[in-house]
Amino acid sequence: MRFKRSLISGSIALFAVSGQAFAAKPTDGSIGFQEAATPVMEQLVHFHNVWLMTIITAITLFVMVLMAYILFRFNHKRNPVPSKTSHNTLIEVVWTIVPVLILLVMVVPSMKLLYFQDVIPESDMTIKVTGNTWNWEYAYPEYEDKVESFVSNVLEEADAKAAGKPYLLGTDAPLVVPVDTTVKVLVTSANNLHSFAMPAFGIKMDAVPGRINETWFKVTKEGTYFGQCSELCGERHAFMPIEIEVVSKTKFDQWVNNGGAFPTQLSEVKGGGVSAAPK
Amino acid sequence: MAGHAVEHDYHLIPPSPWPFLSGVACLIWGLGMVVFFAGLVDRDPANPNAMMEFFLASGLDTVKGVEGASGGWFILLIGCLFASYVMFGWWRDVARESAAGDHTPVVDIGLRYGMIMFIMQEAMFFVGWFWMFFELGLFHEVRAGWNPDILENAAAYAGSMAPGVTSVDPWHLPLINTLILLLSGTTVTWAHHALIHNDRKGAKWGLFLTVALGVLFTLVQAYEYTELFHMREGGDHPWIGNDAYGSAFFMATGFHGLHVLIGTIFLLVCWARLMKGGLRSDKHFGLEAAAWYWHFVDVVWLFLFAFVYVIFATGGGVH
Amino acid sequence: MVSIYGDDAHDHDDGKPGFWARWFYSTNHKDIGTLYLIFGIISGLIGGYLSFMMRMELGEPGIQVFDSYHTYNVFVSMHGLIMIFFMVMPALIGGFGNWFVPIMIGAPDMAFPRMNNLSFWLLPVALICLMISFFVPGSAAGNGFGGGWVMYPPLSTSGSPGPAFDFIIIGLLAAGFSSIFGAINFITTILNMRAPGMTMHKMPLFAWGVLVTAFLLLLALPVLAAALFMLFTDRIDGGTGFFNPAMGGDPEMFQHLFWFFGHPEVYIMILPAFGIVSHVISTFSKKPIFGYLGMAYAMVAIGVVGFVVWAHHMYTVGMDVNLKAYFLAATLVIAVPTGVKIFSWLATMWGGSITMTLPMLWANAFIFLFVVGGVTGVVLANAGVDAALHDTYYVVAHFHYVLSMGAVFGIFTGFYYWFGKMFGVMYNKFWGAVHFWLFFVGVNMVFFPQHFLGMQGMPRRYVDYPVEFSLYNQISTYGAYVTLAGVAAFFVMLIWSLIIKRVPADDNYWGEGATTLEWTLPSPPPYHQFNTLPRISDDDGH
Ligand code: HEA
Ligand code: HEA
Ligand code: CUA
Ligand SMILES: [Cu+2]
Repeated sequence: MRFKRSLISGSIALFAVSGQAFAAKPTDGSIGFQEAATPVMEQLVHFHNVWLMTIITAITLFVMVLMAYILFRFNHKRNPVPSKTSHNTLIEVVWTIVPVLILLVMVVPSMKLLYFQDVIPESDMTIKVTGNTWNWEYAYPEYEDKVESFVSNVLEEADAKAAGKPYLLGTDAPLVVPVDTTVKVLVTSANNLHSFAMPAFGIKMDAVPGRINETWFKVTKEGTYFGQCSELCGERHAFMPIEIEVVSKTKFDQWVNNGGAFPTQLSEVKGGGVSAAPK
Repeated sequence: MAGHAVEHDYHLIPPSPWPFLSGVACLIWGLGMVVFFAGLVDRDPANPNAMMEFFLASGLDTVKGVEGASGGWFILLIGCLFASYVMFGWWRDVARESAAGDHTPVVDIGLRYGMIMFIMQEAMFFVGWFWMFFELGLFHEVRAGWNPDILENAAAYAGSMAPGVTSVDPWHLPLINTLILLLSGTTVTWAHHALIHNDRKGAKWGLFLTVALGVLFTLVQAYEYTELFHMREGGDHPWIGNDAYGSAFFMATGFHGLHVLIGTIFLLVCWARLMKGGLRSDKHFGLEAAAWYWHFVDVVWLFLFAFVYVIFATGGGVH
Repeated sequence: MVSIYGDDAHDHDDGKPGFWARWFYSTNHKDIGTLYLIFGIISGLIGGYLSFMMRMELGEPGIQVFDSYHTYNVFVSMHGLIMIFFMVMPALIGGFGNWFVPIMIGAPDMAFPRMNNLSFWLLPVALICLMISFFVPGSAAGNGFGGGWVMYPPLSTSGSPGPAFDFIIIGLLAAGFSSIFGAINFITTILNMRAPGMTMHKMPLFAWGVLVTAFLLLLALPVLAAALFMLFTDRIDGGTGFFNPAMGGDPEMFQHLFWFFGHPEVYIMILPAFGIVSHVISTFSKKPIFGYLGMAYAMVAIGVVGFVVWAHHMYTVGMDVNLKAYFLAATLVIAVPTGVKIFSWLATMWGGSITMTLPMLWANAFIFLFVVGGVTGVVLANAGVDAALHDTYYVVAHFHYVLSMGAVFGIFTGFYYWFGKMFGVMYNKFWGAVHFWLFFVGVNMVFFPQHFLGMQGMPRRYVDYPVEFSLYNQISTYGAYVTLAGVAAFFVMLIWSLIIKRVPADDNYWGEGATTLEWTLPSPPPYHQFNTLPRISDDDGH
């Protein structure tokens, strides 16, 4: 019953946001990554699905099948007299070398991905993200005079429903960025550790007080994306989601010139403060 | 097999109360630590004399000169006393067993392995503290934020280990202490060799001098700490609560000091046993272990001196 | 006070001391081993209780069980700490290590019997400290410490000002010293007390496993102790500022210190299990271990490499990319010696005459599930991919496959294998089998779906989650109920075998396959074994 209900509610929620161009958020029952929205995530998904999954599935199946065969073939009924072999240098060398080779094959695309992801290309704009207990603060250093930094809070269940956003993912003030733009993200924290994570972008960067971490993304599809704080930061760790709205460049300019608000569809920008206390 | 006479040289020990009592002492001591440093109950300055609070409320308040209840020290003290009692009883048993001939050659080798492992463990403990220094001295700046203008304290942070701090002048008291420890390393070797050659008088003198040098080292260190304490206010001398360099400096040298103290007591016990006629010339592992430990403490100091006082020191000298 | 020195060690007979002296003042490795096992079972119940409460909370979106978010975090943190420090380590190292290392190497007892008992008694002290911590103020949000088992500052310093965390520090220091003393004891025993003819290269693999483990403990735990002291003094007003950026410190440094301990720690929890599984596989295949030397040195290699991979837990803290690349490569290396172990077990079974007893069942499940957990570890080791998976349920799934299945299945393998030897009575086959199957199905149901949750991005340590994560959380929670039934079956088995229907065990109830020294002794062994040391002849080799 519960199972069914959650399936239904899951798909309703999916409907609710599918009005927008594209939305990346978790899908109930899915067994893979969320759909990639950046080149980094595309490469990450490719490396994982094609390389890693193949390798680890093959290894696991190999062990499983071999074990099943051994247990069947060398059962004491079938094989009452055990052999006494306890050495075979050749096979021991083989099962040392073969994993090494597999790992060498794996490490090449892995390193490529790592350096692609980690080395920040020439960026078109910068945003600064500060983790607070327990909400996110976003600032646009290049547009400082037009867009004030603002705080993004989780929407309470009723508000989320009203706004048509998924509860615990939707916020009252999404971060807005233009599509097809290389965005450098500076991440820091005001007190505890947090982690700025956006699954569809393939980024996760810890927010550490006293230090500024950098990461980057370049989103290729307009839409709304959801992520969550990914480093234990205390009581309301589960209640500081990240919502990013990716809009066309013109729309983004409008948004900036409007002082951080869309002319038509307004995302209200609220101040700090804590919502929804636990029951 | 049961009932056979014992035909091996290992030392089987009858039940002993000391381990269990050590556990109890540890519990009391731990409780004292928490109460002393953190306080167990909310502090209520309006009612400072309530019995519970006297024992359970803050400890550091008195140290910091703040009005309020104090008493955590009481539990800590009981824990320490109890622990000392247990250690005394335990090691007295060991000494008696040794005298009774239970420490056969194979058991003796076991004790040596044990002591070596213990010292390895101690070395890794100091690795933790030194790691902090290497991090602060070598990598800190590199890893600091890229955009110092964004975060207020990033400048101070990036200014590496101790912004504006003049550290202790290594060529003053620390150098004297280095010499003291090196000298004590030779006196303890003298004592050991004297004992081997059954020159008990020489051994006594050697040990006595070692202990005296150990005490002298501690006194000099204490003097230096007091000086730094008096100069801590300006914030430009290392102090434990001033900055990370001060923290690392005091915790590392402080834990080293604690080990000097332990080593001194260890040597003192050997000296007392020697004076009472214990420790044979052919069998005196207690003294050897104390000497190993002492050398270890010495080596740690040399590392501290080289890295903490000389290489990573910032600014001019204090003295 | 009391001095028992009076009764001479050399002329006591097999008569055991009275109850108090036997169990509280013990200097007997088997009795201390039993104490450790009982302690492990009690901790397993506490840790299990915490995890079932967590799973009930996570059964569906919304808040079901906990009255505050903070309490959930407290349960998660304590679950991790208790399972690791008070269940797995005491059971595998303290329990089986104490019971069987001396016997397997032909020694009458441990090298330092009194210190052995100290190692044990520090553990209840530590557990009491952790229990107190539940009930004293942690932070403004409530009682207890909710900063995760990894205790990262600043949440564990300025973020948890109350004494709750100080108690955890003291408790972990006590547990740490317990393990350090234990490590010194095991190393000395193994290096110094092997029976005549028992060369290192003839030593049973369980002893090898414990030896390597002991070295890891000896070298890793002191660093944790230093890190804990730093937390302790950082927490004091006017104290130090190691991890406080306002004082020039750095919170990331704690993570380095912690994982320098923490990664060896995970091998500490698995190497003894490797040893146990080796014996079980060999016994029930009626074959000597295949590639014995490779097996022994693979463990050494895992131990050594385990010290230089720690920062794979820190790919997202903002490390330099070249450093990440190094840790990526180093971490992958560990798959090689681990593979050697897996394949050697399979090769041991190959050509054997296999009887599928209960311990053998656990051992095979161990091998398979450990491979599953191991290969997801390899996925996580790829720093690029870890950006997507770090701190998600994928990691939770990974480490429960190697811990709640690897280490715990290793514990049960050993428990059933040696049950008759330790207690003198055979385990009840029926309830044992019920235990196995419920547990096997249960834990897989709990943790397999968590891979999917992680891939979809569900973060760890979340008291509540978006409805999009419902399905697999529900399955996972149902799995926890099945596991709970499995734990219940374990206790029925215990009561049945130890109290209701006691079937005496023979000296060597496994027959010809069981070749290590414990099978030459009666079940249970005499209070002091090997008054005449056994002699290992040359052709006893592998
Ligand atoms: C018993 C405990 C145990 C064991 C044995 C392991 C084993 C391994 N672990 Fe795991 N790990 C943990 C316990 C353990 N781990 C815990 C508790 C955490 C989380 C801590 C926290 O954050 O709370 C963690 C987290 C963790 C992370 C960090 C994830 C993150 O937080 O983002 C990583 C990343 O590299 C990792 C990797 C590995 C690897 C590569 C192994 C390898 O040793 C596995 C090797 C085994 C195999 C690979 C399978 C058998 C081999 C073959 C069949 C040969 C052929 C194979 C190949 C060629 C691939 N582990
Ligand atoms: C050995 C370690 C171990 C074990 C066995 C388990 C067992 C279980 N764990 Fe956990 N777990 C951790 C170590 C372990 N765990 C750690 C380190 C964390 C991370 C904490 C953090 O984030 O800080 C964690 C976190 C964790 C989470 C994530 C919470 C979150 O991030 O929000 C969840 C959620 O489902 C979970 C569930 C369970 C469940 C259902 C079991 C079940 O399998 C439990 C079933 C019960 C048992 C397995 C006990 C049986 C054993 C005995 C009775 C003793 C037998 C002894 C002898 C025979 C001598 N655990
Ligand atoms: Cu912020 Cu978790
Ligand atoms: Cu690790």
